[in-house]
Amino acid sequence: MNHDEAAKLLGPYRDGELDLATCLKLEEHLASCPACQQQLAGEQQVADIIREETPRFTPSPFLKTRIQAALREAHTAAAPVPWWKQFSPAWLASGLAAAALVLTVWAVGILQTRGIPQLAQDAISDHIRSLQVNHLMDVVSTDQHTVKPWFAGKLDYSPQVVDLGPSGYPLIGGRLDVLDHRNVAAIIYQRRKHYINLFIWPSDTTPLHEGACEQNGYHVLTWSQSGMNYLAVSELGTKELQDFVDMIQQQTIPSRPGE
Amino acid sequence: MVEQHRDAGTNPAPPDFEQVFLPHLDAAYNLARWLLRNDQDAEDAVQEAYMRAFKAFARFRGGDGKAWFMTILRNVCYTMIRKLRTTETPEPFDEEVHQPMGEPALQEAFRQKANAETLHASLEKLPDEFREIIVLHDLEGLAYKEIAAVAAIPIGTVMSRLARARRRLRIEIVAANTRESLT
Repeated sequence: MNHDEAAKLLGPYRDGELDLATCLKLEEHLASCPACQQQLAGEQQVADIIREETPRFTPSPFLKTRIQAALREAHTAAAPVPWWKQFSPAWLASGLAAAALVLTVWAVGILQTRGIPQLAQDAISDHIRSLQVNHLMDVVSTDQHTVKPWFAGKLDYSPQVVDLGPSGYPLIGGRLDVLDHRNVAAIIYQRRKHYINLFIWPSDTTPLHEGACEQNGYHVLTWSQSGMNYLAVSELGTKELQDFVDMIQQQTIPSRPGE
Repeated sequence: MVEQHRDAGTNPAPPDFEQVFLPHLDAAYNLARWLLRNDQDAEDAVQEAYMRAFKAFARFRGGDGKAWFMTILRNVCYTMIRKLRTTETPEPFDEEVHQPMGEPALQEAFRQKANAETLHASLEKLPDEFREIIVLHDLEGLAYKEIAAVAAIPIGTVMSRLARARRRLRIEIVAANTRESLT
């Protein structure tokens, strides 16, 4: 084996990717070639550094849950497919029965309490419904001074509306919704193609605890400050939703007496 | 929550699918995160890859699912990259200009310092195909043959690309160290 051939094979040699015959030929050359020995040391050095020092990114624990939920949904959706392929009355009937069964299973799944608080479940339902056609906003505005007055006369309190546009979470509007058995203000923010519903209502005697939960890929964060309960819900990742909440918390002005 | 679902008799995804592919979640996320450079895009890509793999599961011929799944994931990532980076043009790079020093000098300069931070920054600077091959081989431990399947390139190309990627990475690290020692 000549030097040029050998030099090209040093990386694969180090990686254990050469067959035995080539290995032996290379080692023979290596024994008598200081330049190749030097280069092999370099290969070893870079491989060691990469292995020891390169950070490996690990996913958030929510990702696995979200994927499993999506897979279950896909599996359920795939189940009734055969009936329309073989379009005879008998097949149609059994197909419909299968579809009905799937629907029932789906409904049971929806109705089940899955260990997350009722309030968070209601908020997720509100959020999902808000994403359906023409339901997201009652007042469309990116201006906090338009959104805030819009609630006057519709609610017996006045929610603070902060704009996070410069931080990448633009305000896009407001809506009146129902949560916790009362009318509440829903402020809508956007993050790329995702939406965040921020519900605000007076804490009165029951301030919300700071909390987080997740269901089927939707994340809910709750807290209370300045006499108001806050609940943020979105399909955004936890980290981005948490960033959003941090900014809201920082920019919300403490309530003054009499306000 | 998962167990609850199964007990309740709702339709879980076929357990064999989850058993074969969920163990590769970390590897998939790591590659997606290195290619797409942000958490949310990486999460979206991994989820999309699982959905596509699920739909294509009938075509899976068994065996180690890692290479099969990484192939799907990689396609999803590159589709996203094309959408996300329509305006970005890669910095031209001339290996000759960037490598004025020989092997001994390079090793010496390299020895000074290569901490995690430098390595991260240097790896980020590599073109996608170089960054990808280092992640697949050196971090995820895929063999040349598996990388050839995932990236749809001949094994000889895997060999030469990996060599170029590592050389380029060393140069970036040395350049970063030089910059640091100048400031």
